[in-house]
Amino acid sequence: MKTDNKRRYDLSFGLLFVLLAVFAILNLSLGSVSVAPGEIAKVMAGGESGSVSFNIIKEIRLPRLFGAMILGGALSVSGFLLQTFFHNPLAGPFVLGISSGAKLAVALAMTLALGGGFLINSWFMIGAAFLGAMVVMGFILAVSGRAKNSAVLIICGIMAGYFCSAVTELAITFADDQNIVNLHSWSQGSFSGLSRANIKIIALAVFVCLVFVFIISKPMGAYQLGETYAKSSGVNIRMLKVSLILLSGLMSAIVAAFAGPVSFVGIAVPQMMKGLFGTEKPAFMIPATFLGGAVFCLFSDLLARLVFAPAELSISVVTSILGAPVVVWVMLKKRLGRRA
Amino acid sequence: MGKYILESNALCVGYGTKRIVDDISFSMEAGDIVCLIGSNGAGKSTLLKTLAKMIPPVSGSAKIDGREIGHIREGELARIVSCMFPASPVTEYLTCLDIVENGRYPYTGMFGTLSADDREKIASAMDIAGVTELSGRYFHTLSDGQKQRVMLARAICQEPKLLLLDEPASFLDIRYKLELLDLIVSLAKEKGIAVLFSMHEITLAGRIADRMICIKDGKVDRMGTPREIMRSDYMERLYDLKKGSLEEGVLNGIF
Repeated sequence: MKTDNKRRYDLSFGLLFVLLAVFAILNLSLGSVSVAPGEIAKVMAGGESGSVSFNIIKEIRLPRLFGAMILGGALSVSGFLLQTFFHNPLAGPFVLGISSGAKLAVALAMTLALGGGFLINSWFMIGAAFLGAMVVMGFILAVSGRAKNSAVLIICGIMAGYFCSAVTELAITFADDQNIVNLHSWSQGSFSGLSRANIKIIALAVFVCLVFVFIISKPMGAYQLGETYAKSSGVNIRMLKVSLILLSGLMSAIVAAFAGPVSFVGIAVPQMMKGLFGTEKPAFMIPATFLGGAVFCLFSDLLARLVFAPAELSISVVTSILGAPVVVWVMLKKRLGRRA
Repeated sequence: MGKYILESNALCVGYGTKRIVDDISFSMEAGDIVCLIGSNGAGKSTLLKTLAKMIPPVSGSAKIDGREIGHIREGELARIVSCMFPASPVTEYLTCLDIVENGRYPYTGMFGTLSADDREKIASAMDIAGVTELSGRYFHTLSDGQKQRVMLARAICQEPKLLLLDEPASFLDIRYKLELLDLIVSLAKEKGIAVLFSMHEITLAGRIADRMICIKDGKVDRMGTPREIMRSDYMERLYDLKKGSLEEGVLNGIF
């Protein structure tokens, strides 16, 4: 039994790493200008700077690759934390409106800052997004305190999401002409336009979050048995709940600040990983959802860039098409499981 | 440290300021088996939840291992008291082994890594509860009775001094009900665990309990040995039955 499980975990992690490598190479090499894998290796090794392929790889594709990987991973882990918190496999930062809340706050901060003529840096964006995420989270928590029905929770989240998106559109409509184009593509969700400086900040912020997520992995596991049993095992419930909220909110906020809304990754990836690994133990699910999210977003970004090239799809178009069926599958599985 | 594992004095349990059961005073030593009886909604679960520190006492004192419950941190309490609640966990992808392993939570380090000793205790608890074959099965695919036995294994491998069982046998068939009773006796008498449990099958409970606590109308109505409690006239009063509806023979049959 024990060895069977271990073999499954090893194979699953192996599969994820292979997919990650394959999609990473495809993402670097394919596009309006194709760069052969051999040349990529040369560029990575230092290569001759100044050449076209060097600039494309180093300045455009590599930051975008890391952006998609790290932000996709962060978003999936955030979804896993929310699913654990709400004991609901359909919870996720996008469905609960948390991403949209973050997006709204960033849009407001950006339009105000642009209007006022002062510059905003990455940390300020994360801060604004986090604030927006927490406001929606507060609303969701208030709802979940009153309504025990999980469908009510999800519907309120979706409504909060629509509300925030609508207000975001309003804010963008009234934004300064010059910046509309920029804001508009961001508000649709995209991994493009990230600078290497952005990536450094993203990597640092997400890494810090992940360290804390690992620290709470043990109480999270106990919490999967329900609050009562977790408490009787000795879990400090309040501390755990606050940590889950802050960490999931912060990670969704980082994603929203840099890539805008990216839908369904937060629900779909944890579900697929639970199915692939056959477990929901946090010790495996945290690395698995991060890797799975990275793979999922690399693949989605590849499609977003290539399918209608040179036109580019917004990332949410692709993640929705891939992710929404997973949500339906989860719902049906739950329903059928209950009947059986 | 006194000789009592559990000591309650003028304890009142309830929710917030709402008093459900008042003036509960009793104590338990190592190896004691005490059964709570009373009709639905009498407050048996409320008392058990209070002793498990799920809800604070309304007033009065409840000491576990000589210390007021409110002063014991959760992590420490978990090494003294383990529980089984009426509702089993709702999980997606956890196996029975995963669930039982959770019982070692209070003893493992920061990341919950299990030692060889932990694994041995888990295996033995699963063996005792008769769930070894279920080990690799997903918990949510089990029947309610199987779930109860898994939760019992979890409670056992937590190595408590006091075991609180709220309706531990509600979904068990008669064979497992009887096995559960044997199990409680062996845990109490061989390992010295104090067991406080609630059960609706009073005749079964009466076979193993050292004492029974009867809860009625918001207070402890009577306390005593099964022989003192299990009388048809008293049972009829405790459960508001019609006079003569419970034949003496049914209760006497157990002794």
